[in-house]
Amino acid sequence: MRYGMVIDLKKCIGCTGCALVCKAENATPPGVLWLRVIKQESGKYPQVRRVSIPLQCMHCAEPPCLEVCPTEATFQRANGIVDIDPEKCVGCRYCMMACPYDQRFYYAKERTYFPDHPTPFELAGYQRHQTGVVSKCNFCSPRLEKGLDPACVANCMTQARTFGDLDNPNSEISKLIRDRGGNQLYPELGTNPSIYYLPP
Amino acid sequence: MARAEPFQVRVTDLRERFRPQREWAEGRGLLLILAHFLTGAGTAAWIFAVPFRLDSGLAFGFVLAALGGLGHLLFLGRPERFWRMATHLASSWISRGLVGLTLFLITAPLYLLILLSGARETTLAVLVLALSLLGALWTVIYKGFVWASSKGIPLWNTPLVPALYIAYALRGGIAVLIVLAALGAHPPAWEPLEPIKLWLAVSTGVLVLIYLDVMRGSGMTALRSVDLILFGKLAVPFYVGAVLLGLILPIAIGSFAYFGELSRWLLVLVGLFSLLGDLAIIYCVAKAGIYRPLPA
Repeated sequence: MRYGMVIDLKKCIGCTGCALVCKAENATPPGVLWLRVIKQESGKYPQVRRVSIPLQCMHCAEPPCLEVCPTEATFQRANGIVDIDPEKCVGCRYCMMACPYDQRFYYAKERTYFPDHPTPFELAGYQRHQTGVVSKCNFCSPRLEKGLDPACVANCMTQARTFGDLDNPNSEISKLIRDRGGNQLYPELGTNPSIYYLPP
Repeated sequence: MARAEPFQVRVTDLRERFRPQREWAEGRGLLLILAHFLTGAGTAAWIFAVPFRLDSGLAFGFVLAALGGLGHLLFLGRPERFWRMATHLASSWISRGLVGLTLFLITAPLYLLILLSGARETTLAVLVLALSLLGALWTVIYKGFVWASSKGIPLWNTPLVPALYIAYALRGGIAVLIVLAALGAHPPAWEPLEPIKLWLAVSTGVLVLIYLDVMRGSGMTALRSVDLILFGKLAVPFYVGAVLLGLILPIAIGSFAYFGELSRWLLVLVGLFSLLGDLAIIYCVAKAGIYRPLPA
């Protein structure tokens, strides 16, 4: 089994709801964006096209971050998810330099979104994040263990995201990739990302 | 805004098509650059001090490498867990480097103690010296591979970077010994060092030119990084630090040595300029690192 995701750029309207729900689900501190949406414009007036492209950890089958991590804090689960053990991370940030997708974040010191004091949500949520270590998207592993989809998939209002098993040729995402021509980012680097984008 | 609010800078960076890497070049990242410079120059000084029997060079080389090791430690977000870094030798160059540096930092002071006790020619001394040289050589070699294995940064992701770092470390080691020799610890000792230094300066200069030229043709991101060095915000540290102080002046002054005797203070200047140049090129290469644009 290898978990993967397909993002249909034709359906994505760039609402950034996935980024917001990721923040809410994982309580990531300021400056730590496990998921973000970038907007790209092409063409010239009056024929202009705007595409929204959600970005997060690609959970590569051949992750360069795992290769360089000196402490084995970065590891790959049997289901293909690339995760970080914060107890092992020393904060050398080598993985950040190795990731061609720039999807890792270093949490240097405690920060809150509002001055003076943390909100009750922050007090509860930030206990999950150590300072001085690197973090990133883990496909909402705690949700997967409960049999739920990742928060970004479950909450996408246009259902632009599909989550499933890449190893299963009959899974919905395998069919989408096959039928609609799913693209990986920087395939030439040999990282074999588990996130595929369907053309807009 | 840029300095006071680093997380805001990160958020701003993420909106950019070409995002600079900041973790290894700003704030505590400067410690990493300094650490790489010090460990390189220190261990190379040790390597060159052995055949020339420059004991003060050995001691100073060890001190520099130890300071570099401290810099590495202070750079970490969780320094108390540093020992874990030796657990992934199979593929991580940081792990491999830690082992080499640790070997050097254990055996080098041991050898210095043996020297102090006057037992230079014993079997134990030879064994400890051999191990320290192995650690020193390993430390000189590994650093460039750390940068070169970073797939996210095209400017570094080339086999030329290890060659560049090895050349600069060796140059730094010679420069340290020249400064020490000229300052009087070993007055006549600089004479055999100067031709080596001159040769290393010329070859390093050629290597820098090749590196920048090759990277200009290695894709849009690497080209942008090189432009940052040659024409952008890194032009001053590059031209003044790496080129003028690090290459032109040491080569020019070193060439005079063939026509007449160089004064002691001129030699000190050559060494110091050269060291500043080494630091400048490491800084420029680190700071010019840019991530590949997303999406492709």
